[in-house]
Amino acid sequence: MDGTAFLARVGAYHEAGWRLALINVTTVLPPTAAHGRAPVAEATTAVEAPGVFEIAWAFANGGEFETIREQILAGEAVPSISEFFGAAFLYENEIRELFGVNVTGIGVDLKGQLYKTATKVPFSHSAIKARLEAAAAGAVKP
Amino acid sequence: MANPLNLPMVRRSLRNLVSRPVTRRYPTEIRPRFAGARGTIEFDVDTCVFCMLCARRCPAAAITVSREDRYFAIEQLTCIGCGVCVEVCNKGSLTMSVNSRAGHTRAEVGPQGQRPGHEEWRKPAPAAEALVGS
Amino acid sequence: MKRTVIPFGPQHPVLPEPLVLDLVLEDEKVVDAIPTIGYIHRGLEMMVERVEYTEMGFVVERICGICSFMHGMGYCVSLESIMNVEVPERAGWLRLIWAEISRIQSHLLWLGLGADAFGFENLFMHCWRMREQILDVFEKTTGGRIIHSVNRIGGVKRDISDSELAAILAELQELGAAFKETARVFRTDPSIAHRLGGVGVLSMQDARAVDAVGPMARASGIATDIRLIGANYYDRIELQPVTETDGDCLARVLVRMREIDQSIDIVRQAIGKMPKGEGQAIETKVRGLPSGEVFTRLEQPRGEVLYYVKANGTKNLERFRARTPTFANIPAMIKLVKGCDLADVPNIILTIDPCISCTER
Repeated sequence: MDGTAFLARVGAYHEAGWRLALINVTTVLPPTAAHGRAPVAEATTAVEAPGVFEIAWAFANGGEFETIREQILAGEAVPSISEFFGAAFLYENEIRELFGVNVTGIGVDLKGQLYKTATKVPFSHSAIKARLEAAAAGAVKP
Repeated sequence: MANPLNLPMVRRSLRNLVSRPVTRRYPTEIRPRFAGARGTIEFDVDTCVFCMLCARRCPAAAITVSREDRYFAIEQLTCIGCGVCVEVCNKGSLTMSVNSRAGHTRAEVGPQGQRPGHEEWRKPAPAAEALVGS
Repeated sequence: MKRTVIPFGPQHPVLPEPLVLDLVLEDEKVVDAIPTIGYIHRGLEMMVERVEYTEMGFVVERICGICSFMHGMGYCVSLESIMNVEVPERAGWLRLIWAEISRIQSHLLWLGLGADAFGFENLFMHCWRMREQILDVFEKTTGGRIIHSVNRIGGVKRDISDSELAAILAELQELGAAFKETARVFRTDPSIAHRLGGVGVLSMQDARAVDAVGPMARASGIATDIRLIGANYYDRIELQPVTETDGDCLARVLVRMREIDQSIDIVRQAIGKMPKGEGQAIETKVRGLPSGEVFTRLEQPRGEVLYYVKANGTKNLERFRARTPTFANIPAMIKLVKGCDLADVPNIILTIDPCISCTER
């Protein structure tokens, strides 16, 4: 993703007085039979491609609501928006700890101490795949 | 700055001192549950046809139904009292009563892995005459 | 000057839920606060992988006991947007009424906790005694005091008859009249004024800079309220956001007290405007699987809650995110805690109305 262009857009929202509402990450998994969707033919033979994350930065201003969406690869650096929106540090620490998104330059860096989870990075591509495969193999409803 | 001698709560406290308590003397005085309160699930084995809809729709997976064994079981302590099983049952075998779930004091696991709070019913096969133990 | 680090939490008498703040102190003044959460992180968002979308509503309403109704409502409203389901009018109004009653109960709970935080246990008991009447209303109408399980995708599961609604309104108005005495205590008692007045001041500029939501922002003069957007039948209700200008803890107490009266008035308006009569439809049957994504915003008692739901055409949702108002207010809390006295820390933490269960899901 183009860091400077992205920060320019965020800056524009900040100038116009918008409020940061949410930074959300969705782990995008290629469709496989493990979670009930038709498998993509090439997926079984292709080299394991790096996972894709879909990030949405949501801004609100009274009744108006807009989002900036970006698709990034796992490991790609994402700039922090803490210089414009100080409150972003909480969201960015969370997405780094739960998803493994590489956010750089967070204003208040909690160094992985925000959540205490049994599985580190529970929403990474490998962790989700492992859980879906375990569920399909065990066929156990929780 | 507020007047330090103005203590508005004093009047209320003195009134409370001489009036009846607002709390109930539980357990000697028990308030009856309101009609429609979500309490425990009760099952009538005579009307059940073992269609297994309730087991499929239970969000907590608290219900086990077996058509071959004519067996229905519910883990009362896993049940969240949502009432979905009552809604989907076509035969009216399941009802939500206002009683609280019975306390279970023993924590042992049954022979088929039944957990505390487990309640099961078996319906004898139509032609069988022998008693089926529960 | 020598600095000491004192951990505030995870168990503390004033905290309703576990939260850790490592307070860096110089003498009695707090210089820095480092939050750690995760003591009540149950991974509820991860449950979308295992729980079907029809059942996820029950999980979502159990994110928190205080905000339970609006979580369930927000989830159902999001799924209804994705699946293009039209909710019957009476169901929409019933949800609004239950949501406002839930707001009254949440504010009474908070007022009690706030009083307990600075040692006024008598007042705490009074607020919670009044709250019991609201919980009885919930038990009569939904079957449960805290977890209601009445929201379904497509409507609600139980109806409230018109006579019952009139009785509930009479009870709420009686409660509102009785609450005036408690409100007077909060407004005029000198110990409350001393403990809360001028403590934790958040100016309007700072409130904007930290993106505060809900009563935190409204007490600093920002007239923001998601109900003004008008979704879910709120456009048929006349309401003005309750604001104060001082921005201190006492102002936030006053905002929440006035919102109780506002909610009773909204329930009165709603009962007047909803379609009357027996036997009306309250649930639309839902068919098919959801596919698409939506952002839904509601005004919970603590502020703006944001739900992001993404569905991919299977029985399991792909992503469910609930960004609760306490999550958005934590930066505000940390900003307020820096520079205050140690004795004021419990009051400041409580002033954001922390619902850590919601924050950590």
